[in-house]
Amino acid sequence: MDQERRGQWLRGVLDLCVLALLHRRESYGYELAQSLDATGIGPIQGGTLYPVLLRLQRTGLVTAQWREGASGPARKYYQITPAGSETLRRTTVDWDAFASGVGTILREVQTR
Amino acid sequence: MNHDGWLHALTGELHRRGLDPNLSRHVVAEAAAHLRDSGEAPLRVFGPPETYAAAVAESVGVPRPQTGRAWPDASAGVAGSAGTGRAAGSARTVRSSPGPIRLDVRGISKRYRRRPVLSGVDLTVRAGEIAAVVGANGAGKSTFLRICAGLISPDRGQVRVHGSLGYCPQSGGTNDYLYPDEHFVLVGAGRGLPRATARAAGREHAAALDWDPSGRTQARHLSGGTRQKLNLVMAALGEPDVLLLDEPYQGFDRGTYLDFWQQLWRWRSAGKAIVVVTHLLNQLDRVDTVLDLTPTREVSA
Amino acid sequence: MTKILTVAELALREILRRRSVLVILTLLPLAFYFSRREDHLGQSIRFVCLGIGWALSTAALFAGSAARGIEPRLRLSGYRPHHLHLGRLVALWTVGVGLSVPYFALIRFDQHDVRYGAIALIMMLTVAVAAPFGLALSAVVPRELEGTLVLLTVVGLQMIMDPAGAASRLLPFWFSREIGTYAIDHTDGGYLTRGLMHGIVLTLALTALVAVASGIRLRQRSHLKFM
Repeated sequence: MDQERRGQWLRGVLDLCVLALLHRRESYGYELAQSLDATGIGPIQGGTLYPVLLRLQRTGLVTAQWREGASGPARKYYQITPAGSETLRRTTVDWDAFASGVGTILREVQTR
Repeated sequence: MNHDGWLHALTGELHRRGLDPNLSRHVVAEAAAHLRDSGEAPLRVFGPPETYAAAVAESVGVPRPQTGRAWPDASAGVAGSAGTGRAAGSARTVRSSPGPIRLDVRGISKRYRRRPVLSGVDLTVRAGEIAAVVGANGAGKSTFLRICAGLISPDRGQVRVHGSLGYCPQSGGTNDYLYPDEHFVLVGAGRGLPRATARAAGREHAAALDWDPSGRTQARHLSGGTRQKLNLVMAALGEPDVLLLDEPYQGFDRGTYLDFWQQLWRWRSAGKAIVVVTHLLNQLDRVDTVLDLTPTREVSA
Repeated sequence: MTKILTVAELALREILRRRSVLVILTLLPLAFYFSRREDHLGQSIRFVCLGIGWALSTAALFAGSAARGIEPRLRLSGYRPHHLHLGRLVALWTVGVGLSVPYFALIRFDQHDVRYGAIALIMMLTVAVAAPFGLALSAVVPRELEGTLVLLTVVGLQMIMDPAGAASRLLPFWFSREIGTYAIDHTDGGYLTRGLMHGIVLTLALTALVAVASGIRLRQRSHLKFM
């Protein structure tokens, strides 16, 4: 995948993806990075991920607290807030509309 | 760079950007936890400390530093391009109009043997202004400052100081066998400060330069850069109205260098009049007045 | 007064931290003492006093040279010249007294049939003269090396010149020979009086010289005016 284009796409949706992962269950930075990587959208480095988390936290869409994990040392766990869930729900609808529009156009290229 | 070194650099950069210390600690701890979990190199995961610190500062909404403002003093020579380079850091505040004249230099001339070093130099610095003195090696920058400080006499000319004077020499000016704290006490007593006050003031100025001077290290065992920090703190002790700084940042690393300029702006905001000798032209956008001592014939050549 | 005492205290700390110099200076009079201990007891007393004088003037020379870099900025920080040189003198006199006490104790128990009071007086005057002598030297010679050579010459001359000659009275520690003769050879009080006068005059003259030199070097220059 063209790394620059991938970066541009990610900038638009990374906060949504993070919110969606946190909607499943609370998590911490490294685990989120691994989950994102596992979905196939590519590796997300800490330098990109944590600023997004900080911004989500500042805008009140997630909260965070330091806790000892079941195994290992203290980590900063993020939870989605009701406002975050609401934003996620609304934006997911918008994204679906947007992505299906893009998909419709691009599929014409593929099928020709 | 190893983990600790990178994390330490990050701490410094976040501090420089004016991030809340509490938040800054969390950011660093979180980065440390991530590095521990992933086992990867910090440069690969987060990039250079200054870049990551910039991204963090932007995310948490620390206001971006403003660009500098520059205008040449009518009485001083004008030095080259005063561009709009970005000042690192956030301590810079919008300033009120300049205050009363603090340093007034008129018609200073000085010859060494028969070679004229300074001829008819004027400079006016008001409260809340920074003047940069620039010029090639041997153009008389240090001589000019020493004349302003009254350490040597000019052949002609007058210097008027409204208030008290602090001077930081290019080197020397410290006592090899005394601890930093003792230097503060010594200078403080001259300014009429009690010991505890002098020590506290010294440590506060030192903290702004990311230096903890409380250790019992004799000045001769301090690194070159740290000794210059000591020199600078000594000049600022007792809050003189006019600060004369002769290239005080020699031996500073990049971070300390940024801290130094932050400190200058804080002093400027506090209404001090500052004269700083420099040969690095990329700072000229951050000052109010530029005095170029390069002889005119060399400029036109 | 606070300013003088602060300068004195920190100057004292500085001297006490020059460990290696301090050890050499402390042991130097001892070497002088034992060099004549076997054959001539009286001479060993004269030598130890000269040794103290030499050691302390050397310490003063070094202290004076080291202070040159920092004194102009201290002057700018609100000190007046007399604060600086008096503070330094007080520190050096204190060091001198500390250096003399063990040597006085040594003589008190090692030697008999001498006037101990007069010997204490020699030591006091030696300390009084040596400190401003070293400081004055540091004010007039550019570097420590030249100063050390001058000191070496002075002490050498002091040892070999005939104390009866008029020229030897110009040497800073001439009083030491005079009072020494009074203390060891039990001569008349004339030696004591002459020596005492010489010591006092030299202390005052050298202290004045230090004051003048420091006043000139750290003067407020006429082109600079504080409004």
